[in-house]
Amino acid sequence: MAIFKKVRLDEEAEIPTASMADIAFLLIIFFMTTTNFARERGLKFVLPEKKDQPQEVKIKSENLLKISINDKGELFLNDEEARWENLEREVKLRLEKNPNLIIIIRTHGDAPYDYMIRAFDAVKAAGGKKVSLGIIGGGG
Amino acid sequence: MRIKRRRTLKAVIPTASMSDIAFLLIIFFMTVTVFRKAKGLPAQLPYAKTTERILKQRDLAYIWISKDGKVSVDDNIVSPKKVALIFRTKVSENPALITSIKADKNVPYRYVHEVMEALREANALRVLFSARR
Repeated sequence: MAIFKKVRLDEEAEIPTASMADIAFLLIIFFMTTTNFARERGLKFVLPEKKDQPQEVKIKSENLLKISINDKGELFLNDEEARWENLEREVKLRLEKNPNLIIIIRTHGDAPYDYMIRAFDAVKAAGGKKVSLGIIGGGG
Repeated sequence: MRIKRRRTLKAVIPTASMSDIAFLLIIFFMTVTVFRKAKGLPAQLPYAKTTERILKQRDLAYIWISKDGKVSVDDNIVSPKKVALIFRTKVSENPALITSIKADKNVPYRYVHEVMEALREANALRVLFSARR
């Protein structure tokens, strides 16, 4: 009887662990390939509140920089024609002279959206904080 | 004698094929899973240098504007008036909402302006002009 018992003890239940690593790797790779990270990038902007009675604020013209883009995508700085390449430098210069400068980007309704983004990007790069967006032609 | 022999019979569940079955299940679900395709409209985003990354995915709501001026919110093509309505409810649910405007870079600015006006109407004031770097 003693011998019989010993034989039975040798038969132990086993879980195969050799393939465990494979499964773990498979799961890791699966989740690695399917995870997508937050890739949302863009330019932040806060819209002005809509009021029933729009209040008028008088701003001195020297505190104002108008950036206008016409339907052909041409750029104007305070009604003077300017070049896109110089925009950032130009805005930076004016901001250095007057840190309280308010910048208005007015885009023509038919101008591609890309131009507005380019202007806005340049203003941001130049350090402009007070920015307003407007439209030329077509209700605005 | 016969009864004794029967006692030695053991019930065994074959475990050797267990891993095969597990693999089969894993591979089955891997191949069958369909990921949510990018919703919205085709839009070629503009490039910008000073983009910021938004980490709070929860606060984001998307508006797509395609090249021909179609506006899409939550997989539906909507008019600007509808945008105001939809976003009013969205803002009331989450006051910290950031609206990501995913507009095609060639869309006339008029359409973007209309959407922004609608967002002002809905008091959804925080927007993000989605752009690539």
